[in-house]
Order: sequence, then structure tokens, then C-alpha cells
Amino acid sequence: MLFFIKLLQQLVRTLNSEGTPGQVAAGMALGAALGLTPLINLHNLVILGAIMVLNVSFPAAMLGWALAIPVGFLLDPVFDLVGRWFLLDTPALTPLWTSWYNLPVLPLTNFNNTIVLGSLLSWVVLSLPIYLLARWGVARYRATLYQRLTQSRAFKAVTASKLYNIYRMFQPE
Amino acid sequence: MTVRALRWKAVIPLGLALVLVVLFWWLLLDLAVERAVEWAGTEIVGARVDLASADVSPGKGLVVLRGLEVTNPDKPMTNLVQSAEIVARVRMLPLLEKKVVIDTMAVRGVRFGTPRRTSGALEHPSPTTGRVGRAISEWANRIRLPPLNLQGLTGVVDVSRIHPDSLRTIAAARAMPGRTDSLRTAWRAELAGLDPQPQVDSARAMIARLRQADVRALGVTGTRDLVNSARATSSRLGQTTDRIGAFETRVRAGPESLLGGLAESRQQDYAYARGLVNLPSLDAPDLSPALFGEMAVERLKPVLYWLNLAEQYLPPGLDPRRRMGPDRARASGTTVRFPRERELPGFLLVYAGADAEVRGVGGAAGAYAATITGLTTAPALLGRPARFAAQRRAAAGGPATGNVVATFNHVSAPLNDSVVAALDGVGLPAVNLPAAGATLALGTGAVRLRLLRSGENVEGSMSWSSNSVRWLRGDSTARPPDRPSAGPIGGEAWAQDLLWRTVSRLNSVEVEVRVAGRVTAPSIGVRSNVGREVAQALRRELGDQVRRQEQRLRAEVDARVQQQVQEAERRVGEVQTQVEVEVAARRAELERVRAELENEIRNLTRRLPVRIP
Repeated sequence: MLFFIKLLQQLVRTLNSEGTPGQVAAGMALGAALGLTPLINLHNLVILGAIMVLNVSFPAAMLGWALAIPVGFLLDPVFDLVGRWFLLDTPALTPLWTSWYNLPVLPLTNFNNTIVLGSLLSWVVLSLPIYLLARWGVARYRATLYQRLTQSRAFKAVTASKLYNIYRMFQPE
Repeated sequence: MTVRALRWKAVIPLGLALVLVVLFWWLLLDLAVERAVEWAGTEIVGARVDLASADVSPGKGLVVLRGLEVTNPDKPMTNLVQSAEIVARVRMLPLLEKKVVIDTMAVRGVRFGTPRRTSGALEHPSPTTGRVGRAISEWANRIRLPPLNLQGLTGVVDVSRIHPDSLRTIAAARAMPGRTDSLRTAWRAELAGLDPQPQVDSARAMIARLRQADVRALGVTGTRDLVNSARATSSRLGQTTDRIGAFETRVRAGPESLLGGLAESRQQDYAYARGLVNLPSLDAPDLSPALFGEMAVERLKPVLYWLNLAEQYLPPGLDPRRRMGPDRARASGTTVRFPRERELPGFLLVYAGADAEVRGVGGAAGAYAATITGLTTAPALLGRPARFAAQRRAAAGGPATGNVVATFNHVSAPLNDSVVAALDGVGLPAVNLPAAGATLALGTGAVRLRLLRSGENVEGSMSWSSNSVRWLRGDSTARPPDRPSAGPIGGEAWAQDLLWRTVSRLNSVEVEVRVAGRVTAPSIGVRSNVGREVAQALRRELGDQVRRQEQRLRAEVDARVQQQVQEAERRVGEVQTQVEVEVAARRAELERVRAELENEIRNLTRRLPVRIP
């Protein structure tokens, strides 16, 4: 329950934040990598570093991660097929994998696992559509729905209420 | 508004986070190695592998494992092997390539068969865990050891238990019409292909030409050409006759293969019927499996297990290898390894030495030393076979000899493995012989093992011998060996007495197990002097009775299958006769025409004034 409340809180904060839609979308696209690929892997350390160093929305990345987790579990069979195709069923790529497998550090990324490779490649392909879709969605939301929402009596009543003040007290800076 | 691409103020927290990650990894390295050893060991053995602690010193390249306990998969409350301390010198740089290269490994305080405090059985083994062990257990369960039950030998043999549906001969005879039809069709097709009529017609035309030939008109050259042409025709006739003759031979032999199968089925039915009524064969090899088969299978299981395990984990060649991915919340997937020439293998143990001491005064007590060289998951990269050697350096008592040498040559396919062991003064097991109501304590003796694997096949032998056996009677009604039993022949007391009188005189026992066949499921043969002695005693005491019972069984089987067999033989005979008549007719015609042709050639050449070649 706490997880869902936090998720909702995060969603509101992200969508209404001051970051540009592009920053929010880039955060979501990067965060999706953490959810789509198996988490405990070296490449995710790089992704996490990118989320921190690149000027993208951090809450959006967390949201993207949270949303991508169930999708990752659901798509595991597909990732397995993709990874299998690249690793095993495409002999032309075998020299590349053999070369990578015998290089330092690269084998530590577990690229030679069908799920890891399949999910990572799928994320690479999906990251641009995720970015574009999220950017368009956030821009549309802020231009239409959020404006109307802020003008609504219910929103004003809630924001004026003591409950909202208590919520803001616990809201991180 | 322009948005900066980088968040510089996050670099320091990121750096701190990375330092924390490295620190965390450093602190948990020992635990990670401990868990990795336990996981990998469990995966290989198929039972729990516990490690008390692991101490990793990356700077020195030293890994110290303490308190290793490997559970015996067949006895979860017993350790297969236990080691107090293992010190390994590991190369650090290959670890960056996820490769483990151990230059030296010293194993201390090795003990075997120690009891466990908790069960080492796995509650939820993964599909790949202990796969080899399971396959070997299935092989052992599939082996049917003949029973040694002497009771009821002279009683009424209940032939009604021989059910016609269970007799293979009847099934084979029932399948015979179909097989006969197939044979007839095949023969007819072959006969059609051998149709000599065109050649016969051609020969007849040639005969007519020869008869009408005018030597003067043709001249010497023309006549010679005609004769040569006629001889070629005759030669072709001869070849066709030979082909038909060969076909005729096949037709004569064809039914033998069909009916031979019936005879073989009948022998199997005799064995089946004998098994139904527990009528033992009086051949010594048949009695030895009944007496020692179980012990032989139990002792062979670990040897075959390690041979098969070596195949799984030390595969030949450099093709990409697949294995199941890691166990995690997400799907495991498949992990593929891509070995490459002139690179390091995924795992390499260059040299390992172990000292073991078996305490006490038993046959196995003493000091042992073992070495392993060149153990790797990619033998093709190392280019030389893995070798295991163990020696018994000192014994607490008795002969102090003992050598085990195993070589696993998996550099390239086919695999070539050899295991040779010679151990003296080894504690041998006690064998329970329910048919004799006795137990044979083999005491201390010698074990010899010679096993060769080439490709998928294994061949070898394993023998146990002891000169100090003890026979222990299970009941209190034991009689002195020279006193005959009072029970009726064929009764339990009689059977036990007979066996007891026979075996209790033996002071030495030799058991030999021969192994041959596919390495995953070889066939075994067991021979022993006990089996021979028992067989001789049986022959002496009830050979005639067993033979009579066996004749009755054979007669019963014969009576049940006779009708079907006769019908099958009749059908096969019919087909054979039909085809043989046709073949004979064709061959006779060919021979007749050929003789006629030869005759005309002679007549023509006789009319010539000169002899042509």
C-alpha cells in the first residue's frame, strides 16, 4: 500500500515538476532500463550514473523504473527469444561475442545471458519511442489537463485544506 | 530557456556512491565467494555443499576456504568429503574476464564419510542440479537383477501364469503376415527389375541370324563380327543368369531371417516363463548377479557418476556452450560461453595437492596424498588432459599399497578417459544373502578397477577379493555344515541350508564386475567364485529336477506359440515357393537360350575355313 501511495506521490510530483517535458521523458526512458533489464547487472550501474549526472528528471527515472518492472517480468520470454537470436542463432555475430567474452570487464556485464542481452537491446530500441511518447504526454498534460485541474474547485479545495498542508510538510525539497 | 546537459553537482555524490558500492563489494566479497562456492558445488553434486567461511585477499591473490562439507547425494546425513582448509592461489587479472585461474591449491584435513548434523538433501533442487546423479540412479534402478529364490523348485510349476499376450513369439508371429507381404512385394519388385525377356528375345533373334548366316557371303571379317556380337549377347545372358542366381540365394535366405527372429523371441519367452516361476538358471554367471549384483551396482554408481560429470563440465572443442542462467526473480534465460583459442578458459586449476588421513585401525586407515593437474572447463584451450592421481602413503595396518590414476582427455572429441585403481587392505562391505539367510562379511581385501572410455562407450572391470571372509547366519536354527537339512526339498529351510552349507565353507571370495556399453547406461556382468560354487551345489542336488521343470515350461511355451509359428512358417514358405518357382523358370529359360546360342556359334565357326579367335 505504502508503495502505491509513494508511486502516486511520485507521479504527481514528476508530472507537475518544473523540469521540461524533455527532461521528464529522458528520465523515464533511462529509468525504464532499470526495470526492463535484470537489475543486478553492471550496465545498470552505468544507467544509474547517467541518471544522476545527466540533467534529467530523477523522479521521472524512478517512475520509469517502477512502471517498467512489471513490463520486464511480462516480456522476459520475448527478451529470451531476442537474446537467443542474437547470441545463438546468428552465427555472423559469434566472432563479436567471442571477442567480447574474452575482453576484460565486458563479461562482467553478463551480456552473454539471453535475458540480459535481449532486454538491453529491447530497451535500446524502445528508449526513443518511450522518450518521444513521454515528452508528448507530459507536454499535453501540462497544457491541458493540469491547467484545468488547477482551476477546478476540488483542486483548490484540496490545496487549501489542512490535509494538503500536512502533505507538503512531508514532501521532500 | 537553455537546459544544461550535465548535472555537475551530482558528480561528487555519484563518486561517493561508487566508492560505497566498491566498499560494499569489498566487505561482502568473502560472503559472495562463500555463497558462490556453495551454489556451484550444490549444482554439481546435487546435494548441499556447505562452507564455514571464505577469506579472500585480492592483493595477495589468496583464497582460503574453511570447513567445506560436501553431502553424499545418496546419503544426506553423511558427507561425501570434508575438508578443514583449502588454500588457493588465484590469478587476479583473469577475474576481470570472469575467469577463475587457480595456479596452486592445497587441500588439508580431508576426511571421507563423516556424519552430518543436518540433512544435506535439497528441498527444491533446480532442474539442472545433480542431473548426472539422477541419470545414474535411474540407470541403477533400471537394472533388473535376477532373483535367487530356490523355494518351490520341486513344487508344481503354475504354468497358467504364462499369459499368451505376454509371449513375444506370438506377437512376432502375428506380425509375420504383414512382414511376409512386405517381403513378397519387395521380391516381386526385384524380380520385375530382373525381367530377362528382352534379352531372351534379343538372343533368339541372334540365333535366327546365326542360322541364316552364309559364311561365304559374309566373309571372314563379317563372320567374325557376327560371332563377336553373338558372344556378347551370350555374355549378357550369363550376367543376367548370375543376377537371378544371386537373387535366388537371397530368396532362400530371406525366410531364415524372419523365422530366426521367431526363434530368438522363443528363447526370450523361455526366460520370461522361467522368471515367472522363479526357476533359477544353473549357470554360474546367472547366480553371481543375483548374489552380488546389488553391491556391484552400488560400487559402480560413483565411478560412472564422475565419468559422466567429467563429460558435462569438461566438454571437448571450442563451440559456444550453453547453460542455464543464474537463479533470480527474473527469468534465468540461457548463458552462453564463447571460448577462444589462445585465451584462458573459464575455469582452470593448474595444480592441486591434497593430504588426507583416515584415522583408526580399520582397513582404510592410513595417510593418503592426491594431486590434480590441468583441470579446466575448456580442455581444448589447455591442450592437455586433466589428471588425477592418489596414493596411499602409509597404512595403520596391513599392506600399504594403493594407487588411483585417472586421466580425462577431453582436448578434442571423442573423449578418452581412463581410470585405473589398485587398492589393498581396503574395508569391503558386508553383503546380505537373504536366500541363504546369511550375511557375508567380506572383511578387508583388495579392489581393482580398470575403466576405459572412448567416445560414448565405456569398457572395463572392477573386482573385489578377500581371503578373510566371514559368513554370518541370520537365524538360530543353523546346523553344522556337514549335517543335512531335515526340511522338504524345495522348502525354505532346505534352500537356506543348501546355500549355507555351500557358501560357509568358502574362506575366500572373488567378485568381478564387467562393464561395457554406453557410458550413460552400460550393461554389467557379474562373476564370482561364490556363484560358481552355488551353481555346482545346485547341479549336484537338484539339477535333474530343475531340468524337468524347465522342460515343462518350454513345452508349455511351445504349445502356446506353436499354432502361430506354424501359420507364420506356412505363409513364409508359400511366398518363398512362389518366388522360387518363378525364378527357377526364368533361370532355366535363360540357360536354355544361352546353350542354344552357344551351339549356333559353334556351328557357324565350324563352317569357316580358318579358325577365328
